[in-house]
Amino acid sequence: MPSLPELERRLAHAVFGGDAAGVATQIARGRFPAERHLQVYRNNVFASLTEALRALYPVVERLVGDEFFRSSAHAYIRRHPPPSGNLHDFGAAFSEFLAEFPAAQPLVYLPDVARLEWFWHEAFHAAEAEPRALARLSAVPPARHGALRFRLHPSARLLASDYPILRIWQVNQPEYRGDSVVDLAEGGVRLLVMRRGLTVAIEPLGAGEHALLSAMAAGKNFAESAEAALAVEPELDLPRSLRRRVRDATLVDFVF
Amino acid sequence: MQTAVVQAGGVANPIPARAGVGLRAPHYREVIETRPPVGWLEVHSENYFGDGGAPLYYLEQARRLYPLSLHGVGLSLGSADELNRGHLAKLKALIGRFEPALVSDHLSWSSIDGRYLNDLLPLPYTEEALAHIVRRINEAQEVLGRELLIENPSSYLQYAHSTIPEWEFLAETAARAGCGILLDVNNVYVSGRNHGFDPQRYLSAIPVDAVREIHLAGHTVNRYPEGEILIDTHSTRVCAEVWGLYRGVVQRFGHVPTLIEWDTDLPALAVLVEEARTADAIREEAHALVA
Repeated sequence: MPSLPELERRLAHAVFGGDAAGVATQIARGRFPAERHLQVYRNNVFASLTEALRALYPVVERLVGDEFFRSSAHAYIRRHPPPSGNLHDFGAAFSEFLAEFPAAQPLVYLPDVARLEWFWHEAFHAAEAEPRALARLSAVPPARHGALRFRLHPSARLLASDYPILRIWQVNQPEYRGDSVVDLAEGGVRLLVMRRGLTVAIEPLGAGEHALLSAMAAGKNFAESAEAALAVEPELDLPRSLRRRVRDATLVDFVF
Repeated sequence: MQTAVVQAGGVANPIPARAGVGLRAPHYREVIETRPPVGWLEVHSENYFGDGGAPLYYLEQARRLYPLSLHGVGLSLGSADELNRGHLAKLKALIGRFEPALVSDHLSWSSIDGRYLNDLLPLPYTEEALAHIVRRINEAQEVLGRELLIENPSSYLQYAHSTIPEWEFLAETAARAGCGILLDVNNVYVSGRNHGFDPQRYLSAIPVDAVREIHLAGHTVNRYPEGEILIDTHSTRVCAEVWGLYRGVVQRFGHVPTLIEWDTDLPALAVLVEEARTADAIREEAHALVA
């Protein structure tokens, strides 16, 4: 008779790995072979986790179709089972997984679409933040702005892709009506994903503003962030960008 | 209507005996705007483990309108792993914020070696597993500083080396851990059909004063060459046999808060309200007969 840890280990292995040899003799004989009992749990686990991935990655699912999505989801579940009893933590590595998944290789944009959907999920559940930067900034002389380290809203996520993933995302929304052809030659896009109110907004950014906000998110001060922004977009109107992002609460606060 | 119920441990808003319904995201706005005639709401604790945004916003509003119960599916109390302290801390914070009248999880395990299955797997009913889950419930209750209710799971397998019937195992768990019981009547029925025991035998072994909450839900039937396996899907109405069992349950256990659970293929809110009304009618009729 196996100990409790050993029994749980063998059963989990039978469910995830499909190999029932270690646990079949521990299952009481009834009307059904042991495999039938295990299959019920296997179905519950894979169906519920596939459903969880489907809720996280609806655009990926539309792009690859039901059958492809299911098989990639099952492979993902085996490789990256939930790390906690809180499903918010599950599915984080799907983008990296798709980048390596052999059958997904022809869809070069798929990992970036998945990354966008994961950021959407993170933004949806991120913490609230009281915007304080606007009120506080008026008390700081512009000469000292360079030393400020701005804090982005906890839901803000920045993303750059070589593919037109915003357009791909938009034409694959259930309510979208119109031309659903996306030309990959449209080229790349830089995005800010952030919750505004209760809903998540996805906003395209210019190269300069993307560099500015990314540098700020990495903890750089305004002078350093401005330098990074101007390096990629020399004509960027920095004071205007700063005002705008403080006003729309993308930047919620700062420290000196 | 009877409202004097349940331990609430100083909770401002105790749960009435009147039936409640599970609150799920597609119904948030309708529940808040139309305030359907149900006694209370229950949510899955883990759905509110995020840091902010819509789920917590709507739960705040719903909480102002109805008494609340937090029902967990992720504590994995029967797991041989260390108790997940991060999970427990999140649950404790949620309890602090929403002041639920009841907090529950399951007599089951769902993780081992840090891998979670997102399903409720049965324990072997042995002295070893009993001592283990009692220790874990004690630990969780100590961290949370309050009583947990433990729900009987539905199950699709039994272990050859189990030595204790599930009903004795559950009663003994409650007695030793000092926790309450969340009695899921559908789960008793489903497991009874799957393993060939008499639900009445099960129900009559459950100590009356330990039961603080009752769950009712629908299941589906999988058919195989060898026979049927009932699956606890929470995707349909409560079946006639389970309503029949519920009649006896309310006679035995008295005015205990009853919840209608529905998680997949979620119907219109009105269907849940109707099921709750059926439960209320059965309970009131049963108690009128007794009185």
